[in-house]
Amino acid sequence: MRAMDRALIPIMILACALAPAAAGESPVLDFYASEAKASEPGFGGFSAERGERLFRTNFSTGKPDTPSCTTCHTTDPRKTGQTRAGKDIEPMAASASPKRYADQAKTEKWFGRNCNNVLGRDCTATEKGDFITFMLTQ
Amino acid sequence: MAERRWAKAPAAPDVTRVWDLGVRLFHWLLVAAVAIALVTGLSGPRNVLNIHLAAGAAIGGLVAFRILWGVMGSTYARFSSFPVQRAAIKADIAGLIAGSRPRYRGHNPLGSLMALALLAILTLSVMTGVITLGGVDKQGPLAFVTSYDAGKATQELHQAFAYGLLALICGHLLGVAYESHHGQPDLVRAMLTGQKAVSSADHPARPVKAKPLLAGLCVLLLLTGAVHQIVALSARPALGAPAGPLDPIYVEECGSCHMAYPPSLAPSARWTAILANLSDHFGEDASLKPNVVAEIRAYLTMNAAEKWDTRAAHEFQRSNPKDPLRLTATPFWLRMHRGIPESVFKSRAVGAKAACEKCHSDASTGRFDPQDIHIPERAYQ
Repeated sequence: MRAMDRALIPIMILACALAPAAAGESPVLDFYASEAKASEPGFGGFSAERGERLFRTNFSTGKPDTPSCTTCHTTDPRKTGQTRAGKDIEPMAASASPKRYADQAKTEKWFGRNCNNVLGRDCTATEKGDFITFMLTQ
Repeated sequence: MAERRWAKAPAAPDVTRVWDLGVRLFHWLLVAAVAIALVTGLSGPRNVLNIHLAAGAAIGGLVAFRILWGVMGSTYARFSSFPVQRAAIKADIAGLIAGSRPRYRGHNPLGSLMALALLAILTLSVMTGVITLGGVDKQGPLAFVTSYDAGKATQELHQAFAYGLLALICGHLLGVAYESHHGQPDLVRAMLTGQKAVSSADHPARPVKAKPLLAGLCVLLLLTGAVHQIVALSARPALGAPAGPLDPIYVEECGSCHMAYPPSLAPSARWTAILANLSDHFGEDASLKPNVVAEIRAYLTMNAAEKWDTRAAHEFQRSNPKDPLRLTATPFWLRMHRGIPESVFKSRAVGAKAACEKCHSDASTGRFDPQDIHIPERAYQ
């Protein structure tokens, strides 16, 4: 009994420390994860690496003026971007814009518009999750 | 030659004071104010309007003083000393043709007419300027009653008076040059020192004493009264100029990618057309939920350009047939931004032609006051 207690304490501490990273940190990410699980049978979690590739790829399959995310957001996610109409865009990196990726309706609105602008189609739940995962590491 | 001049020097001719200090100060301050007003009005960039207005106000004050001084000043300052009777004018013209004009100690008849004409055209210039400012720029004491159309029509007159004034100034300078070479070599100096040589052939006027105290009092009363009135009238809301904040939903939804253009910048039909195609909004997908679009459409069409009387609201209604929905393609926009290099719009500091607010600090009001234009320094680097 005692030995088990001793073993449990560090496990519980570890579990508490990991909990925010695994769940609560971004409810929006949780939403995309459950969407991905439901719609994509082979879903095995999000990848910051894939997210970065999505961010940097020059698709040129959407609207001609916006071939890639970096057209407006610059190649550095921590930098302030600029819309084609000259308005500043808060950095995409979560470290520079802590309020980003907190409101699901907002993220959906912008993914809805901008995936169509850049890729010429809707993004999949995995792509959206990858993108946010990458931005959370930045 | 030199000897003769030396010999003449001791016997300096008698001089008498013709132009009192009031006349001389008036004259040279007017020269400065008119020069500034003409330069800023005819060739300056639009954001020097305040300097033009200050010069115009100075001209108005100086002319008002001169009119008072014309009835309260010393002998030759008085309008009663101006020999403008028909016979005197005829004799002056005849003398001019014959090459020997009658000499007057103060203004001669043609000079008097010129002085009066200058005072008249300056008065008209100031008056038309104030109406133009009120109607076109929705500023100043008449902004609350002057329509854009009235201001625009008056602006034509204001410009005509400016060219008329230039013509009169040329006539005045030619007249002075002619007289200086024909019998009155000290004419220019007289306007500096006030002294003129006395000649037995002079037509003197009946001497009158100036009433500087009374004139000073009148000027003071007039000035305080005028300033008080101008300030009070200018504080009234301008006729047909939008006031108050923009709709928060419109600002939230449309102001993320570009400045929230005031509804007064486009006619109702153009707003409707723009909102009908948000999935391809000037090359981008700007889709919104149908209920949000409906709300924004109601706001924009109800506050569209037709409802307002500002310059922007009037001029932006004319669209460019080649690009009918784009504000920065309208003939008025193109005309007003002529001469600004493309690089300024593309610079990081401005970003795009559509970013009005980067240079017009009052863009969100739809007023676009000339005084509020500040192109960022960095846009030129």
